[in-house]
Amino acid sequence: MRPLDEKETSAVFEKLFKFVGNNLKNIVENPSHEGPDSNPGRYCFRLHKNKIFYASESLVKRATNVARPNLVSLGTCIGKYTHGGSFHLTVQALNLLAANAKHKVWLKPQSEMSFLYGNHVLKGALGKLSENIAAGDGVVVFSMADVPLGFGVAAKSTLDCRKLDPNGIVVLHQADVGEYLRMEDEL
Amino acid sequence: MEAEKQHQFDVDLGNLMAFDSYHTFPSQPPLSREDLTRQCLLKGTHLVQAIADALFTLPSIEDVDGPLVTLPPPTTKLPREKHLPKPKPPTKWEAFAKKKGIQKRKKDKIVYDEQSGTWKRRHGYDRANDEDAIPIIEAKPTDDPEEDPFAKRKENKKNRIEKQEKNRLQNLKEAAKFGALPSHIQLAATALPITGTQAAPKKVTKDELGNVAGIAATATASGGKFDKKLAGEKPQKHEGKYRKFLPVVEGTGIGSLEREQTEKILNKIISKNSHNILNVEKAVTMHNVKKEKKRRSEKGKALASATDKKLKTQKKSFKKGDSKKGKAKGK
Repeated sequence: MRPLDEKETSAVFEKLFKFVGNNLKNIVENPSHEGPDSNPGRYCFRLHKNKIFYASESLVKRATNVARPNLVSLGTCIGKYTHGGSFHLTVQALNLLAANAKHKVWLKPQSEMSFLYGNHVLKGALGKLSENIAAGDGVVVFSMADVPLGFGVAAKSTLDCRKLDPNGIVVLHQADVGEYLRMEDEL
Repeated sequence: MEAEKQHQFDVDLGNLMAFDSYHTFPSQPPLSREDLTRQCLLKGTHLVQAIADALFTLPSIEDVDGPLVTLPPPTTKLPREKHLPKPKPPTKWEAFAKKKGIQKRKKDKIVYDEQSGTWKRRHGYDRANDEDAIPIIEAKPTDDPEEDPFAKRKENKKNRIEKQEKNRLQNLKEAAKFGALPSHIQLAATALPITGTQAAPKKVTKDELGNVAGIAATATASGGKFDKKLAGEKPQKHEGKYRKFLPVVEGTGIGSLEREQTEKILNKIISKNSHNILNVEKAVTMHNVKKEKKRRSEKGKALASATDKKLKTQKKSFKKGDSKKGKAKGK
């Protein structure tokens, strides 16, 4: 594993900024509470194989004792790089995004299952949605009990949602917690 | 026949090249690809033969490896391989001088030396008005007794040199933006603070020096493959460049370098998106609310005017009552 260089860091931060906005500062400068060190430092990003991990500094120190081929994972995997160099968030980043989300969407109970199977969010499935969502913004999807279910990209802005017919797509699906079962091998 | 053909060929022995200016392909019977290839090869054979004939007519010198011939200078001008170098942008002084209309004029090489009373060169060894050659410096009443005037002059000279170097690097940095960096500096630009992306290292390490030497070694025609090696020179470990990363773990606390990089990128992203602070939709909504309030106040005024109309109606009925009373009195 190694730290990210400048270009990689920019790609990761821009993708995260899409979902969390100015809360990105909280994520980057979050003081760590893990590890027995007197000064645990803070969380940092590390690249291992093609995945980006968000781990506390204390954990990274101990992970350096494991040989690179034998190291499988550390901390929280937030995304991966394609061979072409673009960065994609994965479902493991959901807890990190949900805690700092800029825009949120709540689903009705009868429509949660449809989203968890990988379908887009329709107008009829919407229970609530936060204000001032612009088309193309990153959105975190919750159940009515405030349990994060996944995240996606807003296809319509908040104002356009009101005029939409019930079968219109509101949020384009990107990741959901159902992937832990559906794509268990790939994660 | 052959002599006539050869006379028509233009031979440039300097480039070992020959061509026929008068050759034309018959266009009426369309040639197939094989026929065309055959004709080209035949023509090429004739041209090469012309080169060989001209070459062997030159006077030769006997040598152990065989006869040697000195080729005449080439007559055909070949085009430049690479594009012309870009003109350098004017330096800060040149831009200022142009703006002010200051004309460049040459200084004399010989200058009168006050110290020795003779004419000396302006620069170099035994120069005129050399500060180092002054044995005595008279003190003025305003001078500080603690200060050493000789050390002060030395310090001033050092400062001038540093300033000159800073200005020179600034001009090079400006030239690098336009891609007009001088060729003898381009290789070193990665190590100098010209590009501005990384700090200049205090000392070039052994590995870095080897890397630069490896890159320079590939600057020959064979890419360094057939070059003679110096005595004791080892094969290069890195023929080209390779990426460098910050350390995974750097002492106590996250590394300052990584922290700086993270902070810089974070500030860049936030400042790029700072225009989102003003929420346009909210402003529009507030504006609409204000408009509605204004409309309601206008409706209130309309009601008031309606009340005025009712008052007028009452007045009219009062007048009619008076006229009836007048009629009754008459009867």
